[in-house]
Amino acid sequence: MNPLTDSSLGGRRDGTGALAKRVLPIASGLAPAARRAEWVREWQAEFWQLQHGKRRVRSERGELHEALSLAYGMFADAAWLRLDWARESARGSAYTCLWVLSAYCVLCAATERVAAGSWWLFFRVLTTHFFGEFVLVAVPAIFAAVATYPVRPLRCNRQHPGSKGWLSTRAKWNLFLAVKVMLTLALGFLATLVAAGPARMVLGKYSDWFELAMYAVTVTLGLRWALLNQEQRCQKCLRMLSQPTRVGYASRNFLEWNGTELICADGHGLLHVPEMQGSWCWYDLWVELDPSWSGLFGS
Amino acid sequence: MGSGKLSHSVAILLKALSLGYQFGFEIMEVTGLPSGTVYPALRRLERDGLVTSNWEAEDDAVKEQRPARRYYELTRLGKEAESTAVKRYPLLSRLLPEKLVKTI
Repeated sequence: MNPLTDSSLGGRRDGTGALAKRVLPIASGLAPAARRAEWVREWQAEFWQLQHGKRRVRSERGELHEALSLAYGMFADAAWLRLDWARESARGSAYTCLWVLSAYCVLCAATERVAAGSWWLFFRVLTTHFFGEFVLVAVPAIFAAVATYPVRPLRCNRQHPGSKGWLSTRAKWNLFLAVKVMLTLALGFLATLVAAGPARMVLGKYSDWFELAMYAVTVTLGLRWALLNQEQRCQKCLRMLSQPTRVGYASRNFLEWNGTELICADGHGLLHVPEMQGSWCWYDLWVELDPSWSGLFGS
Repeated sequence: MGSGKLSHSVAILLKALSLGYQFGFEIMEVTGLPSGTVYPALRRLERDGLVTSNWEAEDDAVKEQRPARRYYELTRLGKEAESTAVKRYPLLSRLLPEKLVKTI
């Protein structure tokens, strides 16, 4: 049965029924596809109540006014569901991460541009500080951040699954990491530049040392954050893994696995992170969930 | 949703649900709240775990010759929020009538 052509709306050919028939398909386009059929069914029942149901109160403004009011509610409801769905989809996604980093970079650059006064001066400040100080500090800081990062190799119980797009899942994973690292480094550079402005007034000739120290700190911390953030993402959709759960007991470490388990909210898989790394569990294990699990993550 | 953040309309909605009003149109009628407030608020309450919803049994709806409705009811958390709301807005208890008969 197609919910949009259900006869329950056409029982009475009055203004309300006609309105419901016309407006419902339009409003249903706003509701997320996964919930659309159920949403339409619910609203058909609500409109049926308006047309045929026993009423407690009758509006003085007439049935058409009530129908219009209900139609407004229908659009508001569908729009709320769409926004909620968009918010949920964006939460922890790779796109959101890159957008947020880009937005901070633009904000810092805009602040520095205002402080510089002209585009020419702005680009001159950028190039001077980038090649004069940032590169000198960033290269050893990147080396230090990577060298001191705890090695946590990842093992998958399956190869990365194929991707629908033109890029493989592995390529997307690497591309995301590369863009994220670049944006993080750019943000560290720009944020330091913005912070160095007031520091120059306070510290005078020592402000260059402050700037160098800030570059070292932002690059090291930023890079470590980027790597840690990458570890905690789904291998398939790159969303942040959630719901960390303790599994097993530390006291039984010789007999069974213990550590933390994180899950992809879309149901693509689980990440086992051992509490204590031993010869038999020296890696994080990514366990991919097959489609039979999808029922649990449908909503 | 913390009880401290309960708006007046959400408090009325919770009270209506606690009195046995179960679906959108019925709640809209008894509370006098506009549809643009009631339906999104029900969704939000459901997302936050204060309300749960179930589809009416198809047989019951067929017996009354109408489409099946989606019924909403308070969860344990919702009941706690409702009693907090009643303490905060004491007149709430007098505002809505008890549901005596089933809406057909």
